[in-house]
Amino acid sequence: MKFILTQSDPWHTADGEDGPQPHPPARKHTLLTLEQWHAVRTTWPAGLAKGVMLPNSVDIETLVDDLHRLALVVLQFPKWVDGRAFTQARLLRTRYRYGGEIRATGDVLVDMVPLLARTGFSSAQLRRDQKIAVAERALGFFAGHYQGDVQQPLPAFARDLTREAGPLADRFKADLFAGQGI
Amino acid sequence: MYAYTDFDRQFVHARAAQFRDQLERHLAGELPDEDFRALRLQNGWYVQRHAPMLRVAVPYGALSARQLHTLADIARDFDQGWGHFTTRQNLQYNWIPLTKAADVMDRLAAVDMHGIQTSGNCIRNITSDALAGVAADELVDPRPYCEVMRQWSTLHPEFAFLPRKFKIAVSGATEDRAAIGWHDVGLQLKKNEGGAIGFQVLVGGGMGRTPIIASVIREFLPWNQILCYLEAIVRVYNRYGRRDNAYKARIKILVKAEGQQYFDAVEAEFSRILAEDVGAGLQLIPQAEFDRIAASFVRPAGVVPAASVPTAADASLAQDGTSLAFSRWLQRNVHAHQVPGYRAVTLSLKRAGQPPGDVTAAQMDAAAALAERYSHAELRVSHDQNLVLPWVRQDDLPALFEAARVAGFATPNIGLITDMINCPGGDFCALANARSIPVAAAITERFADLDEVDDIGDIDLHISGCINSCGHHHSGHIGILGVDKDGSEWYQVSLGGSDGSNISGAAVAGKVIGPSFGADEVPDVIEAVIEVYRSNRQSGERFIDTLRRLGLAPFKAAADAQRQLTAAH
Repeated sequence: MKFILTQSDPWHTADGEDGPQPHPPARKHTLLTLEQWHAVRTTWPAGLAKGVMLPNSVDIETLVDDLHRLALVVLQFPKWVDGRAFTQARLLRTRYRYGGEIRATGDVLVDMVPLLARTGFSSAQLRRDQKIAVAERALGFFAGHYQGDVQQPLPAFARDLTREAGPLADRFKADLFAGQGI
Repeated sequence: MYAYTDFDRQFVHARAAQFRDQLERHLAGELPDEDFRALRLQNGWYVQRHAPMLRVAVPYGALSARQLHTLADIARDFDQGWGHFTTRQNLQYNWIPLTKAADVMDRLAAVDMHGIQTSGNCIRNITSDALAGVAADELVDPRPYCEVMRQWSTLHPEFAFLPRKFKIAVSGATEDRAAIGWHDVGLQLKKNEGGAIGFQVLVGGGMGRTPIIASVIREFLPWNQILCYLEAIVRVYNRYGRRDNAYKARIKILVKAEGQQYFDAVEAEFSRILAEDVGAGLQLIPQAEFDRIAASFVRPAGVVPAASVPTAADASLAQDGTSLAFSRWLQRNVHAHQVPGYRAVTLSLKRAGQPPGDVTAAQMDAAAALAERYSHAELRVSHDQNLVLPWVRQDDLPALFEAARVAGFATPNIGLITDMINCPGGDFCALANARSIPVAAAITERFADLDEVDDIGDIDLHISGCINSCGHHHSGHIGILGVDKDGSEWYQVSLGGSDGSNISGAAVAGKVIGPSFGADEVPDVIEAVIEVYRSNRQSGERFIDTLRRLGLAPFKAAADAQRQLTAAH
């Protein structure tokens, strides 16, 4: 998971005085709204690195034919408890095989980062008050999960769990007491 | 019971460690309450009237004696000594300070317990039949399937923040003891003509402000595809469920609004998952994995089928002087079993002087001790807020009866009017509009005569302190709903609801019989309604049968005659 620092981020939006420019000039690392993308998609050079910001209320299928032209898809969390973008990201990876960057923006909290990573996000622009160190710590609690995800398509039952010893492996072992009447 | 592996054990401890980190940041002022809220909810921590409330998950209602002893210890060491069993087979504490929350989660993790997804807008703890694996009318034991789904839904990264809460219930018997029609997803295990096991899948049920019964979306889904199918159901909901209004955000509203279109969308999504998604095939449950899990649910060693003894013969076990009480208890609290010579026994948590579903720490220990002595150290939490001992030898019944009586668990009222479902209500819950415990207490007091209660017979009385419907008032033959009018407590009465059990008929919401009643009027109203039944019943008719035959009118008239505070409309 890459954490985006605004000052060193090459990506920029194409805004005019009244919001997004209707026909922005072709520039590398431009981050486009869906409307802007539709306006420029046939005219901008194919090799130019560009990205699209997709609201979480829009079907990811809207972008499917264009994914190979996009270096970045930015998904949004208007509120952090609005989980639609998790589905968008997961579909981008598992169904549409998108290999570019998927970035989370908006109300992105450190405690969401494990979910972001598991649903296919590769970068996150944390909310301004969030700390990257805490986000990195948040990624370290679990050695593995039950269900398959984008990072690990194999569910727990299809993996060799003895090879997944996490930080707690030595401290906690099953004692098989369940149902034993102890 | 499911036996935790090293992985499972480490997982719940990891969850406890993660929660401790979040709690410490919150207590240090680094994680504001509006952000911490959703995190604590998904670990079972609400903020209530007196203190935070902790809801501990009891997956599909299965509890070991050791776990129950630990729950008792937690009640003593952290709470004021109480616990409350809920309709979703969980246990709640009401008096634990938040500063102790992480310590409690560690204590729970030590016995393979947690509060994962017992609240919040996520897939909640999966519920099932309290008699799973022992019911005489069982078609398929639902427990291994529940466990597979528990694992799949636990910390599912895509579905952690749905539009609203999402509840799944599973039944594997001919009698529905899990109220599956009232759930976001209801699953009925069945066998098809070829003998293959699968699920009938229902979707879009729920209570609350808009009671809706779930609709059948699939008549038969092969069991090994259930995770992919659930993924399709929940994904379509996550994408298209309403988020603009919390009261319209449950899946029932989406299903009602879209109807067949929702069903088509789920089926299309399901096909695409199987055909196109990376890793989808891996989610088809392999037989070997099913067998691994099912191995945890074999009969306990020592449960040996005995020469079958007919039910009537139970009574012959009665000892002198206790025969009437004992036979009442046999009739109400003892249930048929699939192993000859065994019975399932309900420990009633409905008795005068204590709110329905409530247990003290000492009572938890006592119930656990009974389970150790008589039921291979296993218990179940039932949907109607009682405890069940699933593995009782028929010839132990007299001794168990005596022991249960001493411990206060032998009220012979299961399925009767005093075996009511009741939420904690305004005494504890910050959401409630009115108190429910005093109403339950007043009704229990009014129906203190066991002969009368017995004569009234099978009836479901459900009480909720607010429209969130935790007390399932919609599904009661008699439902009572607390409402707030100008700052005082009033109670709306509805009649004719059903949870979907055999005697109640197909799941349906009861109908409100006019304006709300004052708290003092409620016992009179209930008594009057019952009296209409008693004086009009035909031979063999239960309350619900007479109500359906006569219609609401005579019951409403009798209820209205009790009004002193309001005019009938």
